[in-house]
Amino acid sequence: MAQSLVVVIGVTVITFVLTRLLPGGVARAILGPHASPPDIAQFNHDYGLDLPWPQQYLNYLWELLHGNLGFSYHLNETVVQLLSTHLPRTLILLSISTLLALVVAVPLGIMQAVRRNKLEDYFFTSVSFALYSMPPFWLALILIIWFASPPANLLPPQGPQGDISTYLDWDQMSGLILPVASLALVTIALFSRYMRSSTLDNLVQDYVRTARAKGVSNAGVLYRHVLRNALIPIITLLGLSLPGIFSGALITEAIFNYPGMGLLFWNSAQTRDYPVLLGVTVVVAVATVVGNLLADVFYAAVDPRVRVTG
Amino acid sequence: MRSAWRVLGVFCLIGLVATACGSGSTAQQKLQGGKAVWAEAPNATPNYIFPLTSGGYFSVANLSQFQFLMYRPLYWFGDNGTVKLNSSLSPAKDPVYSNGGTTVTITLKGWKWSDGTTITSRDIEFWLNLLKANKAHWAAYVPGGFPDNVVSASYPNDMTAVLTLDKKYGSYFYTYNELSQISPIPQHVWDKTSASGSIGDYDRNSEADGQAVYTFLDGESKKIDQYTTSPLWQVVDGPWKLKSMTSDGAVAMVPNPAYSGPVKPTLAEFDEVPEATDTAEFNVLRSGGLDYGYIPTQDADQRGSLSKYTFSPWVGWSINYIQENFNNADHGAVYKQLYFRQAMQHLIDQDGYIKNIDKGFGIADYGPVPTKPDNSFADSFEKKNPYPFDVNAAKKLLSDNGWTVNPGGVSVCSKPGTGTGQCGDGVKAGQKADFKAMYATGTKVQEDEFKAMASDFSKAGINLTITGAPFNTVITDAFGGTATADIDFWGGGWIFAPDYYPTGDEIFSTGAGSNGGAYSNATNDTNTVATTTSDDVSTLATYQDFLAKDLPVMWFPVLPSQLTMAKNTLHGWDPQDPLLQLYPENWYFTAS
Repeated sequence: MAQSLVVVIGVTVITFVLTRLLPGGVARAILGPHASPPDIAQFNHDYGLDLPWPQQYLNYLWELLHGNLGFSYHLNETVVQLLSTHLPRTLILLSISTLLALVVAVPLGIMQAVRRNKLEDYFFTSVSFALYSMPPFWLALILIIWFASPPANLLPPQGPQGDISTYLDWDQMSGLILPVASLALVTIALFSRYMRSSTLDNLVQDYVRTARAKGVSNAGVLYRHVLRNALIPIITLLGLSLPGIFSGALITEAIFNYPGMGLLFWNSAQTRDYPVLLGVTVVVAVATVVGNLLADVFYAAVDPRVRVTG
Repeated sequence: MRSAWRVLGVFCLIGLVATACGSGSTAQQKLQGGKAVWAEAPNATPNYIFPLTSGGYFSVANLSQFQFLMYRPLYWFGDNGTVKLNSSLSPAKDPVYSNGGTTVTITLKGWKWSDGTTITSRDIEFWLNLLKANKAHWAAYVPGGFPDNVVSASYPNDMTAVLTLDKKYGSYFYTYNELSQISPIPQHVWDKTSASGSIGDYDRNSEADGQAVYTFLDGESKKIDQYTTSPLWQVVDGPWKLKSMTSDGAVAMVPNPAYSGPVKPTLAEFDEVPEATDTAEFNVLRSGGLDYGYIPTQDADQRGSLSKYTFSPWVGWSINYIQENFNNADHGAVYKQLYFRQAMQHLIDQDGYIKNIDKGFGIADYGPVPTKPDNSFADSFEKKNPYPFDVNAAKKLLSDNGWTVNPGGVSVCSKPGTGTGQCGDGVKAGQKADFKAMYATGTKVQEDEFKAMASDFSKAGINLTITGAPFNTVITDAFGGTATADIDFWGGGWIFAPDYYPTGDEIFSTGAGSNGGAYSNATNDTNTVATTTSDDVSTLATYQDFLAKDLPVMWFPVLPSQLTMAKNTLHGWDPQDPLLQLYPENWYFTAS
């Protein structure tokens, strides 16, 4: 726990220093070419940017301890408010796409392992490689051209723009289909490759031979014995992807105009909106720490050998 | 029998024509209601509602395309696609100058707030008092300018405000650049210091009370999620009022039924939608999801495939230029030589860039006053190019002034000194024509223009080492006041809004706040002062002709603000306003 705290504080220090090292002052970035030197000075004074860096950092840390992540220069909202509106959107997008990827990739990987070197294995391997090698922006654009442009015009070309409370309306929900698909397709390709090779590794293990010798059916071997062990690499991947679920899918969000965390971070970087950059980074740092912790917990759940004893 | 068929055919033809004409007139009929969706530019979303706006929120997105729809400035500028005072859309009658131009009398027309209360001089006084108590927070504040130049203000009756000025100002300058910024605000709703506090005359009490009111209203303006519920923002005098808004910049507006102006909205709703990137916007446009959007310049060739849209470049009231830093430690002395600036201007092939890179949509810029849209301020001299693209002329200017010209390499000053045929004051022997130039990335055509210019410069041995950087980095370099900044091109030049009279007192006068390159010329300073103090527009001609020749910056083509694509069924949006204001109250749909 203490180690995790040190990691989070370390991240805030590094991010704070990096944002201050970015070329281009924040005041000029926000106020634009029309601003006079007194305007710049007033802005810096209002936001404490005229203080020495260490003092600025301590002020930031003090506010952070009180749950105040600061105020966005550019978006005219508190960072907490911004996170509270953008984070749920990203969680919905990434959770659905990750869940969908799992639901498809796990059985697909097992099937490919069982049917190794058969036609269907070759086919899905080719599809997986093709999807995995596609740049996400290209895949997203292709999906838009096929499904959201004339003459098809089947789906909206952008993600839902309303509040998440409206996501159950078809108008809004249909906007999620293409972004979810573009994320899920690439993730399915990744997960299914891991699942296939992990299943293959396990299928030749002694415990599988023993189970078969004891008369366990093929399905029983696969789903009762192999699956749990084969899932371990997927759990690692999921643990590593947790920060991504919080930080958002920048490219996908940008192309589909989906106002999630990725887009928030990107826009804030462009406008030198330091408080937002720091706020997002802290959230992602915490998510990374928690993700690693959860991965460890799940390892223990699926693999008794790694459970803490005594 | 055949003739019978002919008769029948003629009847059918007449019937078909009649049907077509009938359906045509129905199709073109103005429809009441409907929702128009307008695309915001990336990273240009509205986020501040209080019309006494501080620097961080002083943007076209906040003022021209958001606040003005709900809170009308006292004087409206922009008339049928031209830049001029629009008396019919202004809540006040034209200002009257008296006492040798030192007194301005403002008379209100008696328009109403949305709650039925009349807009009175008290609402002007309230705005002015808040401004005086909080001028450091006002983005447009320049020491000595408005409101410092208002010695006193009186309000003889509900409909009249009289301002006494510290000296005579030109009526054009004062109306277009100072009175243009006044916005009546509802004193009977906003004059309080807390949400639960009662309405008072706080602004009249003391400066501290005025500051408390401002702090309260500024704070409330930072609660975007409460814009549609806070009682403060429900009282408006513009043609529109807010229906909903998110911090992402998604805005929905509905008509204000009490709007007193001459044109009432036909649409039932007007929406502004944020777009993350040009690509995202173009995707939505292609799918037909926008009524009024834009096509990125690099995709302009595809506009023909969007048959449901009408194309129209939207030209802003702006100039464009590349800034040299006259205080640069190494090259400042070179930039101070007029012949050198003339040589550089000769190497900018504006017509070529417009034709070959801007796809024909750029506008040549040869001076400090916008030439497009057509206006009465730009004179004939400025519209001609005093320094047309001519590599030989550039080389000759350099060689005639003591430089050894090395085309494709780096030219060198070989004859230092201040005499005829010498390099000029401060330019040392061996000084190289080798400069660092930073340009803003993000607009591909401007990046390409800049790279083409660097290539053209090399033909006269002027080497530009160019670096692309984000817009914010470039403007910090350009306006940071350091001796290391060299040549900067942020791409946006200068837009004259809401100081509509293009006098340049903020950009080219000695010591002006936005004179980032530190250009200084006594003649220009005198000319500029004349534009602000004289009623004679010819002073503006003198000013612009001088700067067109003296080159305080390198003039560069202006790009349209956007290449508009509006649905064929949407009408009333053309001509587009050069001040980039929106008039959705003029818009309406037809069936086809």
